[in-house]
Amino acid sequence: MNSKILPSDLLRYEGCTLTGALSVTMQVQDAVTVIHGPAGCAHHNFSLLHATAAEQDGVRLPPLVPTGLLENEIIFGGEEALARTLRRVADDGPAAIFVLSTCITETIGDDVESVCACDLGLPVIPVPTAGFLGGAFSDGLNMALTTLATRVGNDDVQERTVTVIGEKNLEFEVEENFAEVERLLGLLGVRVDVRFVRKMRFADLARVGSSSLNILRGPDLIPIGEALKRRFGTPYIDSFPIGLEGGVTFLREAAASLGISSERAVETETAQQAEMLSSFADMRGAAVSLDPLTLGSLEYAPVRRVMAALDLKADTGDAGLSLPYSPPVGTAGIRRLLHRWRRRTHA
Amino acid sequence: MHAYRKAEMKQIALYGKGGIGKSTTSANLSAALGETGLDILQIGCDPKHDSTRMLMHGAWIPTVLDLVRERGDAGIATDEVVFRGYAGVRCVEAGGPEPGIGCAGRGIIATFQLLERLGALDGDVIVYDVLGDVVCGGFAMPMREGYAREVYLITSGELMSLYAANNIAKAIVRLSKRSRQTCALAGVICNAKNMDGEEELVREFSSRINSTMVAYIPRSRTVTLAELNRQTVMEYAPGSEQAGVYRRLAGDIMKNNRTSIPTPLEIDELENLALRFAQV
Repeated sequence: MNSKILPSDLLRYEGCTLTGALSVTMQVQDAVTVIHGPAGCAHHNFSLLHATAAEQDGVRLPPLVPTGLLENEIIFGGEEALARTLRRVADDGPAAIFVLSTCITETIGDDVESVCACDLGLPVIPVPTAGFLGGAFSDGLNMALTTLATRVGNDDVQERTVTVIGEKNLEFEVEENFAEVERLLGLLGVRVDVRFVRKMRFADLARVGSSSLNILRGPDLIPIGEALKRRFGTPYIDSFPIGLEGGVTFLREAAASLGISSERAVETETAQQAEMLSSFADMRGAAVSLDPLTLGSLEYAPVRRVMAALDLKADTGDAGLSLPYSPPVGTAGIRRLLHRWRRRTHA
Repeated sequence: MHAYRKAEMKQIALYGKGGIGKSTTSANLSAALGETGLDILQIGCDPKHDSTRMLMHGAWIPTVLDLVRERGDAGIATDEVVFRGYAGVRCVEAGGPEPGIGCAGRGIIATFQLLERLGALDGDVIVYDVLGDVVCGGFAMPMREGYAREVYLITSGELMSLYAANNIAKAIVRLSKRSRQTCALAGVICNAKNMDGEEELVREFSSRINSTMVAYIPRSRTVTLAELNRQTVMEYAPGSEQAGVYRRLAGDIMKNNRTSIPTPLEIDELENLALRFAQV
């Protein structure tokens, strides 16, 4: 859902399918991901994932192992190097191994799937992620989620729970956005069991199919929502709530899917939204100066309605190019946006 | 017998359809050149590594890539990959990965880099005997700057063989557009199947692609007998008519200094040409 900037800039934002898939597999915390390719393909991603993790919730070294191919493996084939790496990684006893391919191994035709099919006593799951085949970050992300979705089960769960699907693990406010969804569900008295896939253990896959409701991060994940609906009959909501009215709609939809009443939850939330807006009364009538990070927010109707409610005007004078922007999730998302604008206005 | 002036090193590459007789022609050409006292290096650039076998009396010499696979490329010495065969011809086989895995084209590139580093690419003449189809950039390596300057196409009068030669001509055109390219087409060698009208057809084909037929090599039982005896014709039957043909080829190639950028034919032109010479 990144906004497109200039044609010449697009390639900077599209990224590589490998990185997209890694953003998912890295979150299975007791699994190891093997990148079948030169060490550099792993290193770029390791740095990015490591830095992002440090920013979000502390240093956690990504469990990432490259096969580290050199010219000899390219000439004579890299399948043995992969088999060797898989055996070594399996010895450490992870819950599962993901195997992600790269441009060079797809070019020389290494048969990654057949190497992964040999029995190591644990699931070895290949995901084809050669960037040169086209596709972008989001395609890699979806492919990894889809691959994992084929492995979920519906073990018995005693209570009514919700699964959150496809969080954007590298996005700026990933934990804040999840917290908002969790808070809203809390108003309805339901709990998130599995985050598919974030801070999850491999065994958690067995419970994904038994939740009462799936909540997708965004509509691009509908194919996964549909697939789980076909298999387990689980209804889904196709997006995190966007803005204030999104939060209210979310409560109503979730309650309807769960067969419970939303009345009290909506009442509580509406009151809280009004209180939140009134706490920004000091900004009423102001011209807010937008920065590259928030410029994209103007594209979203929920943001424009909040601006209208507070009689805000947008000063885009020095904002420059707009950066890829995810719309604000729920009441908390709007509050953070207004805080940011207030800081810039008073700066 | 130094029949030719020892000037700049001559580097030639023989390309043509698989099975057309590149290795037989290369080996006999190298042998004929070697017999005149020239220092010849023949490099087989085909994973099947059978280019130099007749020069080596049937022995399979270790290939460059065999050694690289076993030990890596750091500690390889020249005398481990260059072997002296008949008439003093120095023989190298690039080799390649097992069939069906890896990247043979990258193997050719790595082989050339290694030979370069070893300083093994020297002598009076280097003969590159290359895989029939220029399937990727790696197999065009012998045509790149600093390697073969003269490409000879080997073909019979059969359509598929002419078709392959025509395709290689396209590769030469493509490479000739690069800024520092030095390689060009030096001629066509007709390695005959002894079809009627074959010599005229290949001669016409050569002129149509802006080149010349430099030799007509008739099909001969002597070649079969020599190879059954694991020798080049030059060694097995030095007095034979066929040995004379290869001697002439060697002399003509040493004298030849005309090259051209070819003008490959469209497929229907090629078919019409073959049809015109076909004896019905």
